[in-house]
Amino acid sequence: MPSPALLVSVPLIVAALLGALRRLIPRWIADLLAVLTAGGNLGLSCWWLAHALERTEVYWFGGWFPRGRMALGIGFTMDGYGCGLAALAALLTTLALIYSWKHMEGAGGHYHPLMLVFLAAMSGFAVSGDLFNIFVFFELMSTAAFALCGLKTREPAPLAGAFNFAVTNSVAAFLMLTGIALLYSATGALNLAQIGLALAGRHDRLVLAAFVFLTTGFLVKAAEVPFHFWLPDAHAVSPTSVCVLFSGIMVQLGLFGAMRIYATVFQGCFAGTKIPWLFVVTGAVTAVWGAMMCFAEHHLKRLLAFSTISHTGLMTLAFGLWTKAALAGLFVYVVAHGLVKAGLFLCAGILLHRFETMSEPALFGRGRALRGTAPLWFLGGLGLAAAPGFALAVGESHVTDVAPWAEGIFFIAGALTGAAVLRVGFRVFAGLGDAGPVDRAARVDEKPETTDAGWRVNPVQYVPAVVCIGGCIALAFWKGMTQVAGSAAASFMNFRGYAHMVYAGATVIPAAEAHGWLAHGWLAAGLRALAAVAISLWAVLHLRVPRMLRWPSHLEGSMKPVRELQSGHPGDYVAWLTVGCAVLGAAAFWLVL
Amino acid sequence: MKRSHRLWLFAVGALGMGFVYCAGARNLPPWGQYRGPYGDAIAQLAVYERHTTDTVNAVTYDYRGFDTLGEEFILFSAVTGVMLLLRPEKQDSGGKRDEKGGNPASFRDRAALSETVQMFTTAIFGFAVIFGIYMATHGQLTPGGGFQGGVILAAAPMLLYIAENTEAFQRIVSHPLVEFLEGAGAAGYALIGMAALAMGAAFLTNVIPLGTTGDVFSSGTIAAISACVGVEVAAGFTLIIFEYLREILSQKKNEEP
Amino acid sequence: MKFPADYPYFVAAWILLCGLYGIVRSKHLVHMVISLTVVQSSTYVLLLAIGFRRGGYAPVFAGLHTGARVVDPIVQALMLTDVVVETTVVALLLAMVVKAYEKGGTTSPDDLRFLRG
Repeated sequence: MPSPALLVSVPLIVAALLGALRRLIPRWIADLLAVLTAGGNLGLSCWWLAHALERTEVYWFGGWFPRGRMALGIGFTMDGYGCGLAALAALLTTLALIYSWKHMEGAGGHYHPLMLVFLAAMSGFAVSGDLFNIFVFFELMSTAAFALCGLKTREPAPLAGAFNFAVTNSVAAFLMLTGIALLYSATGALNLAQIGLALAGRHDRLVLAAFVFLTTGFLVKAAEVPFHFWLPDAHAVSPTSVCVLFSGIMVQLGLFGAMRIYATVFQGCFAGTKIPWLFVVTGAVTAVWGAMMCFAEHHLKRLLAFSTISHTGLMTLAFGLWTKAALAGLFVYVVAHGLVKAGLFLCAGILLHRFETMSEPALFGRGRALRGTAPLWFLGGLGLAAAPGFALAVGESHVTDVAPWAEGIFFIAGALTGAAVLRVGFRVFAGLGDAGPVDRAARVDEKPETTDAGWRVNPVQYVPAVVCIGGCIALAFWKGMTQVAGSAAASFMNFRGYAHMVYAGATVIPAAEAHGWLAHGWLAAGLRALAAVAISLWAVLHLRVPRMLRWPSHLEGSMKPVRELQSGHPGDYVAWLTVGCAVLGAAAFWLVL
Repeated sequence: MKRSHRLWLFAVGALGMGFVYCAGARNLPPWGQYRGPYGDAIAQLAVYERHTTDTVNAVTYDYRGFDTLGEEFILFSAVTGVMLLLRPEKQDSGGKRDEKGGNPASFRDRAALSETVQMFTTAIFGFAVIFGIYMATHGQLTPGGGFQGGVILAAAPMLLYIAENTEAFQRIVSHPLVEFLEGAGAAGYALIGMAALAMGAAFLTNVIPLGTTGDVFSSGTIAAISACVGVEVAAGFTLIIFEYLREILSQKKNEEP
Repeated sequence: MKFPADYPYFVAAWILLCGLYGIVRSKHLVHMVISLTVVQSSTYVLLLAIGFRRGGYAPVFAGLHTGARVVDPIVQALMLTDVVVETTVVALLLAMVVKAYEKGGTTSPDDLRFLRG
């Protein structure tokens, strides 16, 4: 049985060696080693995922097994959800590294070590079963991410984006640590299972305060309104391969952190209260907000970043429903969304590489030359709308099966984000209609991170995008996916099973059934896709419809007051963060006490 | 957003946050009455199980050593990040070594250097090195350890810089070995963990004989890991100092055309 | 918990809010980074206050019998990690500030707003 420690230690060792010998190692060896390491992580985490469908196991570092109820050391809990997310992180990292093969700026040999550290941190974060260890991996992930975000130092914009990202996420980390300290004081433990058992249903002010601070910390990473301001800034300026990881998995891991501590530490405390509704409401607001901002945006990467906010809102909503079916749907949704979003970012990267701009008006009609990219982009747009045939629709149908009213939120978010992407597609790749409005954000000057001059697109650059979009379609038709998701969700929610795994070493997981498509899902997905196509065409061809009926183009151009909130000032972002934390606290106190 | 609006917004948020914090802290045990049990158990066990007398380091490098691995790599990625952000702009393709452009040692403030400072700092250079090594290797016995020792070691070249012993300073901080040591120290920690794996034990298990409590060569891997961390921290901070000084120098150059 | 007796917890809360206030009203990026370290200091105070035991010795058993009453070694180890985290984040942020000054010619967060809307 391969050791779970390899998930973290191998990428770290390779990163350290690449860093130590960066002057001696030629670029192609660094590329190859990095891809092989990430691929190895993918294999290992898939092996553990398959294993976790039958038995979830715990791995104690340093051989420090618990004494009685007390966990002395740090344990990795290899359950389905965690291993699945580790696998997604490894897959996306592999694809991102293939995309940046050779042609991307190597940043003096610092790029590969940072990517591998980032991967190790994400893997460790996903499977760690210790509260403080989760904080350490959160910080490790952040540190690597801050540096990667500021990779393009030739312009001031990336530095501003990275700075905002670093300040907000560091404040979030310190709030998390405050929460950890409060829980440690209350229970004298850092192991998640031990804390959960020690709290034993206690829900006084101390537990609530710890919950508020920890959740705030994770939700900042998960970019929920009003903690989301850093995300578009960071995405607009990061290199493409880094955007893939930010949008495809890092943000979702933030949400997963909140889920993990809820499932283990707080589930018993808040059973029977309305606390999960906090997540439902936050998620719904975020989904709608993000979708509207996404449609109003004309900088391609910022547009995709807002769609990530919107979709992460949907995921938060699904988490808040807190049923097995919703969590199973969420699992499928996270994987499918990661793939589609990665594919879209990779297409945007190809556009940036070829035309050296990310502005929709500037790209108008120029994409015609890129015959390979256009279909991928349109498929990606349909995928974001969770059209039939994409795995997002499968996940979504499981969630709305539990809460039919959520269909409305999914419809708004899916249709608007899909429409935004399709609108860009029609304008850029087909040259339909006019160039669209110009706004300030679209004028952020961006130089490509690629080094080789000339307009040729390396065929290797297409491979990851094809794998992503194709993979998302293939997942929709693979019945095993829902089975994996069902089993992962069931064991994730079962705190007793989790605690048993921690103290007895392993828990046997009952087999889950495969569900595949749910009938009502087809209908909703079809409607959503139609709506997305209709809205996008409506917006693109707005000059041909009567003035009274130009709603989408109003939405496209009239979000000024709301967009002003996205001010680019870290002070504003931190002020919003405190307000969000206070609102969360007030709501939690009101719901429980 | 206007500044005054921002401050009002913050006032509202801070009020709520402060309330949550204080309400939570009200239910904490009274100050000065730590109730355990984790810390007490470690304090009881570490001396017997790990033959260390400094239990904080037993926690840092053994019981919760995996945290410290992550922590060490936080430092590693920050150092890499600083080098990445402050890299000279001409060369981006990587691998080539033409970074000698700016010599940080030639940058100095205009104020004349006092001889006392020069004498004193040069004199304590050796002392700082020895003290740093002592700190890094005696963490298992008394307060100290790799992080503390490494920082003191990294301060040693700074003393030379203050003393304007430019040649020696430059020879130390711009040496390619510094970068190698930084990575090697970080990798060394993980490799010690892998050694346990190769011997069939769990990652980071203490597989070296524990020795006699109170000896320098006691506590098994704790001392070895501490030494690796010391190397990494010393090299990492030296690199950070070097990068910052080079950056300042290149800015000075730009200002004086 | 009562006020004068358990003041360290309030001190931690106060430092946290002070640091956040500093970040929010900052007019200089370096000032903002230092304010961030103030936020972090609040976690040091909280962690050490939690592990403190009245009359407890430092948990170093060199010259101390093993049954002695000591303060919590865990929080001290956690704080060590915290210190390293702070140092590294500050190093990274200051590098960004230096570079932003070089490229944008400003150290004021009000003028560094290239990403709006």
